[in-house]
Amino acid sequence: MTLPVYLDSAATTPIDPRVATVMTQILRSAEEFGNPASATHAYGDRASEIVDAARERVAAAVGAASADVVWTSGATEANNLAIFGVTAYYANQGRHIITARTEHKAVIDPCWELERRGWRVTWLTPGSDGVVAAEQVEAALQADTILVSLMHVNNEIGVIQDIRAIAAVCARHDGARLHVDAAQSVGKVPLDFAATGADLMSLSAHKAYGPKGIGALLVSQRRGVRLEARQFGGGQERGLRSGTVAPHQLAGMATAFTLASQELAQESQRVAALRRRLWDGISALGGVLRNGTEEGTVPQLLNASFEDVEGEALLAAVSELIAVSSGSACTSASNEPSYVLRALGRSDRLAESSLRFGLGRFTHEADVDQAITAVGNAVTRLRKISCATAT
Amino acid sequence: MRYSHLTWEHFSHAASAGVLTGADVARAAAGSAAEGTWVQFDIRAKRRGFASALIIEARFQAFGCPHTIAVADWLAGRAAGRSADPSLPEPVGALQQLFGMPVEKLGRLFVVEDAWVGAVQALLKMQGNA
Repeated sequence: MTLPVYLDSAATTPIDPRVATVMTQILRSAEEFGNPASATHAYGDRASEIVDAARERVAAAVGAASADVVWTSGATEANNLAIFGVTAYYANQGRHIITARTEHKAVIDPCWELERRGWRVTWLTPGSDGVVAAEQVEAALQADTILVSLMHVNNEIGVIQDIRAIAAVCARHDGARLHVDAAQSVGKVPLDFAATGADLMSLSAHKAYGPKGIGALLVSQRRGVRLEARQFGGGQERGLRSGTVAPHQLAGMATAFTLASQELAQESQRVAALRRRLWDGISALGGVLRNGTEEGTVPQLLNASFEDVEGEALLAAVSELIAVSSGSACTSASNEPSYVLRALGRSDRLAESSLRFGLGRFTHEADVDQAITAVGNAVTRLRKISCATAT
Repeated sequence: MRYSHLTWEHFSHAASAGVLTGADVARAAAGSAAEGTWVQFDIRAKRRGFASALIIEARFQAFGCPHTIAVADWLAGRAAGRSADPSLPEPVGALQQLFGMPVEKLGRLFVVEDAWVGAVQALLKMQGNA
């Protein structure tokens, strides 16, 4: 069986062979299997050197200080640590937080949980282009706001938020710390943690051709951000996240981030051309609405709604040729219209009939052409089966 | 979502999709695309005595999930040669099992049933058998 062309890079990416080589070398080594916390012998020292080097390389790739990096299992854990950790630490200063309706579930669900515990949450609704304006944040800030959590690049439509402007607003408010979910950012847009002015930032390796199961929370030391640990038992990561870290995972993430940073400019240009080709091809069908703008979104993502076709049928009809998702892959099991697209003003029907195309490092013109053919055939066939005048 | 072989065959080929035209064609539809499921059947039959009619051919159109399209195609495809009875050849529950439909999709089968029964009733009325 031939697998379909993979166009779901916002869900996850394949591990870059260069990353796999680094990880495999460590896994196969008879000298690098030690526990990085074992300070009493050379095996621990070797493992600790790998961890330290990875910390420095990840920090360098995203404009952070190595001391800012707290390893986690991924962006979901990083988001949870940021939101629960900050709100627990600063609870006596206020019980109000701000986020957006279009965040990833890994931010929305913790905020819901805080609401359940009695915190007040302001849920911002972005404009139809998906952008949350800094003025919206400014208007929502209250005297007891202690946290603003907004994503950098949206995982469904790829819209890029102006984090610097939002950080500037938060900086003018005494006490509102800014957490940024940047799980989708690495390798797609330039990322400079220190320059953004954010206080905390969540990162994930597997969205950037690194391994699954590893990520990081950046906690700005320069800005003096504090948070309470959520996990105990060994005191690793300055006591913020106990547990033995996996050197091969960290080295994999570091290599992936270094490559992403080095190849960003060239790769962005190449993928942008592929996305234009894809949009030109599918929009020629007519009745295709783009979710997000060309200039306001990362080139790796294209999200479109198709009129007069049912969403599940469309996804099924293309599935033998291309692997894409409708809405967020993380929540596609719920089989409900994308809450992100609904928040942007799309009707339930158009939200359901949307496809998210995730282009990436290993996507080529032939893959895009296969996608155009698959979508064209599916939409034409389904529109023929369904009566376009049905109401 | 994974689909059963039967569902996939009827969804991906849907040989009975389309419309019939002519004064002898009965048509009925149920559901709405706005609500996610819409199905229409066209049936042509010949009279067979006073009490029944024999279906010659049937076609369907559908806006719906793969299961909805598959069941509608299956119904239309096996209709030729059967008596025009205003009921499904199999109960809804049996069709759900036959096609491996998740239970939460049962409502979509009722839309298919309503469209089918409506088309047969329209046919019988047209032929003066209702």
